[in-house]
Amino acid sequence: MHWWHSLFQLSLLASTALPAAAASWGFTDATVSVQTKGAGVGAGFKEEIPQNGVLSSPVPLGNADTLKVALTAQEGKSAKSAHQVFLLLQDPNSGLDISYPFAVKGNGKSRVELTWKDLPTQFLSTSDPLDARILIGSFGDSAAYNQPAFQLSLARNPDEPVPTFEVSRYGQLPEIHHIFKQDAQSPPFVITLAFVAIVLAIFPVLGGLWLYLGANINHLPVAIKSAPIPHAVFLGSLIAIEGIFFLYYTSWTLFQILPAVAAAGVVAFISGSRALGEVQGRRLAGLR
Amino acid sequence: MRWFPSLLLFGFLAAVNALSSSGNRLLVVLEDAAEKGLYSTLWGDLESRGYNLIFESPKSEQLSLFELGERAYDHVLLLPPKSKGFGPSLSPKNLVDFLNSDGNVLLALSGKSTTPSAISSLLLEFDLHLSTDRSSIAVDHFNYDTLSASEKHDILLLERPGKVRPDTKAFFSGEGVIAVPSASPHTLGDNSLLAPILRAPTTAYSYNPKEDAGAVEDVFATGSQLALASAMQARNSARFTLLGSVESLQDKWFSATVQAPGGKEVETANREFAKQLTGWTFKETGVLKVGKIEHHLAKGDLTPEDLNPSIYRIKNETVFSIEISEYNYDGYVPFEIPANDNLQLEFTMLSPFHRLNLAPTAKTPNSTIFSTQFTVPDQHGIFSFRVNYKRPFLTSIEEKHEVTVRHYAHNEYPRSWKITGGWVWIAGLWSVIAGFLAFVVVWLYSEPATAAKAKSKKTQ
Repeated sequence: MHWWHSLFQLSLLASTALPAAAASWGFTDATVSVQTKGAGVGAGFKEEIPQNGVLSSPVPLGNADTLKVALTAQEGKSAKSAHQVFLLLQDPNSGLDISYPFAVKGNGKSRVELTWKDLPTQFLSTSDPLDARILIGSFGDSAAYNQPAFQLSLARNPDEPVPTFEVSRYGQLPEIHHIFKQDAQSPPFVITLAFVAIVLAIFPVLGGLWLYLGANINHLPVAIKSAPIPHAVFLGSLIAIEGIFFLYYTSWTLFQILPAVAAAGVVAFISGSRALGEVQGRRLAGLR
Repeated sequence: MRWFPSLLLFGFLAAVNALSSSGNRLLVVLEDAAEKGLYSTLWGDLESRGYNLIFESPKSEQLSLFELGERAYDHVLLLPPKSKGFGPSLSPKNLVDFLNSDGNVLLALSGKSTTPSAISSLLLEFDLHLSTDRSSIAVDHFNYDTLSASEKHDILLLERPGKVRPDTKAFFSGEGVIAVPSASPHTLGDNSLLAPILRAPTTAYSYNPKEDAGAVEDVFATGSQLALASAMQARNSARFTLLGSVESLQDKWFSATVQAPGGKEVETANREFAKQLTGWTFKETGVLKVGKIEHHLAKGDLTPEDLNPSIYRIKNETVFSIEISEYNYDGYVPFEIPANDNLQLEFTMLSPFHRLNLAPTAKTPNSTIFSTQFTVPDQHGIFSFRVNYKRPFLTSIEEKHEVTVRHYAHNEYPRSWKITGGWVWIAGLWSVIAGFLAFVVVWLYSEPATAAKAKSKKTQ
């Protein structure tokens, strides 16, 4: 995050190494130990950090453990109390840093204790080991000390969930694209055609049934001869009404078909009464 | 042609004075008039940028931030008081009221004296926290000026800050080193309105110089948790900036030569940083203005009647565009979105149905037009086009334009014969009609086949 700071400091450190006119701060007799709650004294991890050096193996710190770092600050070769004796923990990914001051005695002997509770949540949620540096500095001309001391890896119980943290900051939000409902779909064309064929197959079945039962149009010439106009107009008006319905289905509006249907209906009523009178005449004549 | 000279005069006045986007009346609250000379370069810089500086002592009786209920000043620069606070006319409540009525405040503190509790409680309003003793200063044994603070290490040398996040604009960046003498550091609460401008280096810490302890054991905050300058931009985009070190604005540090431990002697960049800091606080930078907002159906030839309709149909292809300018010291320039950030359009009814990134499509001399095209969701109701752009260091944009989204009208659906699945029913309907006509013909003209069959047919 603040890489320019660290770069700046690194460049400063690199340049401090060269002249080294005044005495510089450092430490000696440094130990780092981890004590597990309930375990006996001396049971846990304990390592010695070489003078002004770095521990090669990472220090594991469990949930119930206490990390103890003890050292003696020295200016040049003599042990001395410094104003700033800090254990600096830094997350290598986010660059987040926090320092824990040592309890310093007058003779430079310093110690700090640390448990999980002291760590910020942001550190507990990272999986990489944290960089632990030791800062020793004080007022005056002596060059301050800032070097890595060890790596602190959080020995997390695999059963426990990794703590998460949420901060609300103004920033861009994830994009949202509306998911549309699926359009209505028709079954395959072949299946539709098969069912249409079944529907249309009713006509031969119906025609065959009527012929089997003896349906015929033998009276048509008689009817046309006795009342040609009523029959033609009646059948024509019935077909016209269905035709108007077809036009309504395809393009006409309701108010276009209403007068047309009314007109065709009146025609059908008047011509129908004449045509049916002729049919009644045939029934009275015993023809049907 | 009588208007012409007045227009000319207006244009002339605008060119001379309108350097800040929100007015040029700057109240400088300075308790000790003798200290005015220490900051003469800053005053000169501010006046050359068009500000009308009004110096007042906090003790002055006629000092009031408001006159007849209106703001009497556009901006306030508060230098740290010598006494126990700024007095009744600059109480925390009055300053918060001033911010609420769109005034901007730059508050400078000093680590040399204890900060009054009235200021501490003002800062608490903004979720900015000073140490509990209110007299801590920031020290760093790694980045201090060896020429002037070789013993106390309280003059911090810092790189100019970059971006606070990868997706923000760097308003305070640049070359050079800033000297921050005897800074009173603060920490930031967890608040999205706050943004740090200048953070202390990792190795810095704060301590109370009055406590003569051999080693610091109880620290207020350390490292980059300590902020030396921070910004609070309220929801109405009024700006409040807290600067920990008023001394960094003094003439002495505007052109000082400093040397970090083991480094070279360099000139400080405090003057440039002060320009950026006051410019941002007094709304010379980072001010966004919305111009035209247009939405319409996506089609070729648009007439003025096609723009910004109040009703859309579901599944319409729609184009939305918004014009945004950014104020940059002396005028509006086309706004450019920072890298890794996006201007987003939401199409919402209660919650967003679409949230889309707007892309820059056109540029005018002083604005950028961002637009996007999308399909209206398949849900009818009262929707709104929303652009809610709130970012650190930029004034907020909150635009909401309501439109109605209607269903398909009854004659906008596809006709039934275009739906192949409906053919079975259509065939059924017309076969009933054909069957009816055939039956009518048979009934009218059929001759009884036999007596028995005719009888059975009758019972049918």
